Amino acid sequence: MGCEKAEARLICTVMSESPLIRLDDVSKIYNLESGDFTALDHVSLEIQENEFIAIMGPSGSGKSTMMNQLGILDVPTSGKLYIDGRDVSLMTALERTHMRRDIIGYIFQKFYLIPLLTAYENVEYPLILKYKRRDNSGKAAAVLKSVGFDSDMSAHRPNQLSGGQQQRVAIARALVNDPKIILCDEPTGNLDRKTGIQIMDILVGLHQEGKTVILVTHDPKIAEYAHRTIELEDGRVVKS
Amino acid sequence: MKDIFFDLSVRSVRLNFLRSLLASIGIVIGVVAISSMGMLGTNMQLQVKEQLSASANTITITPDAVRMSPGSTASSGIDKTQLNEIKESAGNNVIIPIHRSSTRFTVGSTNGRGSIYGMDQNDVMKFLTISEGDNLNGESDALVGSTLATNLGIKIGSRLKIGEENKSVTRPVVRVSGILTARGMTADGVMADNAIIVSDNWYTSHFGDENLYDQVNVIVKNVDSIPDVESAIDDKVNRKTQVIRISDASSRLSSISSTLGTITTFILAIGAISLVVAAVSIFNVMMMSVNERIQEIGILLSIGTEKGEIRRMFLYEAFILGIIGALFGGICSLVIGYSVVGAMIGSTTYFFLPESIIYVPEGMVIGVVVCVISGLYPAWRASNMDPIDALRAE
Repeated sequence: MGCEKAEARLICTVMSESPLIRLDDVSKIYNLESGDFTALDHVSLEIQENEFIAIMGPSGSGKSTMMNQLGILDVPTSGKLYIDGRDVSLMTALERTHMRRDIIGYIFQKFYLIPLLTAYENVEYPLILKYKRRDNSGKAAAVLKSVGFDSDMSAHRPNQLSGGQQQRVAIARALVNDPKIILCDEPTGNLDRKTGIQIMDILVGLHQEGKTVILVTHDPKIAEYAHRTIELEDGRVVKS
Repeated sequence: MKDIFFDLSVRSVRLNFLRSLLASIGIVIGVVAISSMGMLGTNMQLQVKEQLSASANTITITPDAVRMSPGSTASSGIDKTQLNEIKESAGNNVIIPIHRSSTRFTVGSTNGRGSIYGMDQNDVMKFLTISEGDNLNGESDALVGSTLATNLGIKIGSRLKIGEENKSVTRPVVRVSGILTARGMTADGVMADNAIIVSDNWYTSHFGDENLYDQVNVIVKNVDSIPDVESAIDDKVNRKTQVIRISDASSRLSSISSTLGTITTFILAIGAISLVVAAVSIFNVMMMSVNERIQEIGILLSIGTEKGEIRRMFLYEAFILGIIGALFGGICSLVIGYSVVGAMIGSTTYFFLPESIIYVPEGMVIGVVVCVISGLYPAWRASNMDPIDALRAE
């Protein structure tokens, strides 16, 4: 692939025929007892490879639903969603699971580390899912180190780590399978300002390395890190 | 390869150690019930088999009461002619004609009831053993079985009045000359433990039936010749119509084994009920485990864990509970089974034989399988959760 070197990547992005993510008139409607609720309302959107995007909007505007769609945790009620050139609605549940594992990295506000695993094992886990064996390549340790995690803490369980440390582990876990897309749901929401800035610096670095970073935030200061802001309101895109 | 899902299951069990242990106790009880009951039944069968094989060299001939030919005497017995035919066809094997009846009797002031056998005094020692005293010598001597002697306090020299108590008639009296060694259950039709043995003459002079026997035993010199001897007797005596029935230890053994087999299956089924209870408790614990880990399941699913892998993780957990229960259950089965067999049967001679001890591994395997089956639904439920809903759970 010619898009692996840094200088070639920008050209590739521009020349790329199809965007990395494309939403084509996507709606998501939840059938509630109180009646149907439209969380996403005919959203059309394109996200190119190596973009840094912030998704903003008030509570209930559809941000989380949008993230669930982008993370293939859910499928649209109508419309088409293409990720990496594939129509998500035509994929089997297993194919979607493999796509989540291989090309998407998740970073959650509440970190969502696996409580029974150590910091190291949490990072190793996606590698095991992918290669069906324990990691002996040292990749998990290397990724942990790259996000500034103290290797002395590797054997600690999540509940023995600070919020910042947990988020570093979560970022390492998201990165370890070398995904194209990093989805961040309020990644600094549970962190103090200083640690939040450190985490954002890591995300900026990842973008510079060629990752497509999409983050949901309430905080305009955090949104400033992004190159494009998509604003949602009542399930519709009001600014893109 | 060390499986991370197995690791996760081990850690989950460890994290909820007390709860897991309590659930496993159900399996321990189930395994112990199945193993002990199975071993008890088998040891009972083996014990009976051995007792019956003690008279494996004996062919028992009884009159075929059902097929008495018309015109024959009313008494159903083996007559002199038939006895001679048996003697002719049985070769040089030992022939023991036996009279048998049931009678009331009185020892001192105690009344009792039991079998009374009449046989030639020389035949007594051919298949019975006297533990105390002597064989029949005088005309009115008698031998008594060990159970009878113990229960009624009969001693050498005790006098037994034979027959129904009746003030107008003087009952005949026998003197106990010897007490027999316990025989247990035997295949030769002589249940001597609760019986009185008298001489042939004494019996016929008080009970009648001279030259008409209730049973004839043939003690063969070579056990392998039993089928030949039986068919020779059958050909000779039953040549026109069937007048006698011929049986031996193997035919009795198979009918008794089949009965005991049914009893064993029944008590095993009772043991299995406890495993059903254990299955419910494992199911409950597994459902608790799934419910407590909903968010964790959500995380695992959202970062690309396959449904099959989630299922595996919970089935491993059920399997671990099963293994813990089965291991403890296996050990307890050996101890408890040994005690139960010892207490109920009075002998643990057969306890460690393969056909008895096999119930321990069998019980353990059943315990583990029951656990895994109980974990199927919780595992399925976990793997089919919606990752978004699961992540939201607190």
